[in-house]
Amino acid sequence: MVPQGAASVSRSGNTGNLYDVIELILDRGLVIDVFVRVSLVGIEILKIDIRVVVASVDTYLRFAEACNRLDLESGRKAPAQLTDIVGEVTEGGARGKSKGALTGAVEAVTDALHLGDDKEEDEEEEPAPKRTRPTRRPTRRREE
Amino acid sequence: MTVYVYSITAADHPLDLTGLDTVGPAPAVLRSLDAGPLAAVVSDAPAELRPKRRDLTAHQGVQERLMADGTVLPLRFGLTAPDDDAVRAALDQHREEYLQRLDQLEGCAEYHIKAAVEGDVLLRQILQDSPRARQLNDDIKAGGGSPELPLALGELVAQEILARHQALAAGITEALRPHTRQEQASDPVGNDFLNISFLVDHEHRELFLTAEKGLAAELGADCDVRLYGPLPPYSFV
Repeated sequence: MVPQGAASVSRSGNTGNLYDVIELILDRGLVIDVFVRVSLVGIEILKIDIRVVVASVDTYLRFAEACNRLDLESGRKAPAQLTDIVGEVTEGGARGKSKGALTGAVEAVTDALHLGDDKEEDEEEEPAPKRTRPTRRPTRRREE
Repeated sequence: MTVYVYSITAADHPLDLTGLDTVGPAPAVLRSLDAGPLAAVVSDAPAELRPKRRDLTAHQGVQERLMADGTVLPLRFGLTAPDDDAVRAALDQHREEYLQRLDQLEGCAEYHIKAAVEGDVLLRQILQDSPRARQLNDDIKAGGGSPELPLALGELVAQEILARHQALAAGITEALRPHTRQEQASDPVGNDFLNISFLVDHEHRELFLTAEKGLAAELGADCDVRLYGPLPPYSFV
């Protein structure tokens, strides 16, 4: 028995969180071979936004432009190096507070995934916060 | 009558299904079917089913209730059987396998993690860490250089981003792994560099959550680590 509640980080009962676990519900779970899967309109859409690092002239130029635009002096401090992090955590050092596990929960799949093609359903969905991420732009552009 | 199948549990599961929604546009009745030591939770299947939010939520809601009261084998969304007897026959046919999985999953839950890092942060890191990238960037900004320069910088940056994404993903995974039983990674989607599920048993739950909190804090605000759980063990059935 799995206790629910106190330490529960996020629950899919909160519909905003459904996006990040949707692939589990749709693509994982037990399959019984003699059972038939109902035709699911829109289910393949999930696969479209799989991350691809495109090695192309276009991608390179965009990265270069993004670098040129950066003002290094005004840059924030770089995040901690991961080697340090792994060491600290495995030593049991959980210091500091959680940054909030739900930040940006909606954004990853929202762009790519529309559940079904039901207008009324679409309108219920909260729009993802718009962020500019130059490193990802080439992939985005490909989809348009 | 075609039935929609949600979950498999042991027959001695409390199977409290009151107040739960069913999939499909019209309300249906959730019921359990006994088959020896196993039980299945089903409802009459809707004529048409699309993976809409309310349907996914209903499917998930059944799993969460069953998980709160015991151990559950969550089925993939959208599976139907011709009738109740076909469900019982399937349970009979796979009885040992399902009993074994229920036993293995007792006290366990799935935790799903996705993570992304702000693109500009990585670019700054790369320019700070790589003298060659910095040199190329300065040369381009100075103007008048070869048109090959931006390509060289872009290629270098692309490689560095990929390497850093992989290092971050590996670091998070390795930090959490000691507190987990199993893991299943899949291709990150969108801006994410990590997309992984862990199976965590009750004894390790607090350690796992503490480790994840520590990671999120250490990685800072630029790294967006999203943790979901406890979830039904979709990835480990």
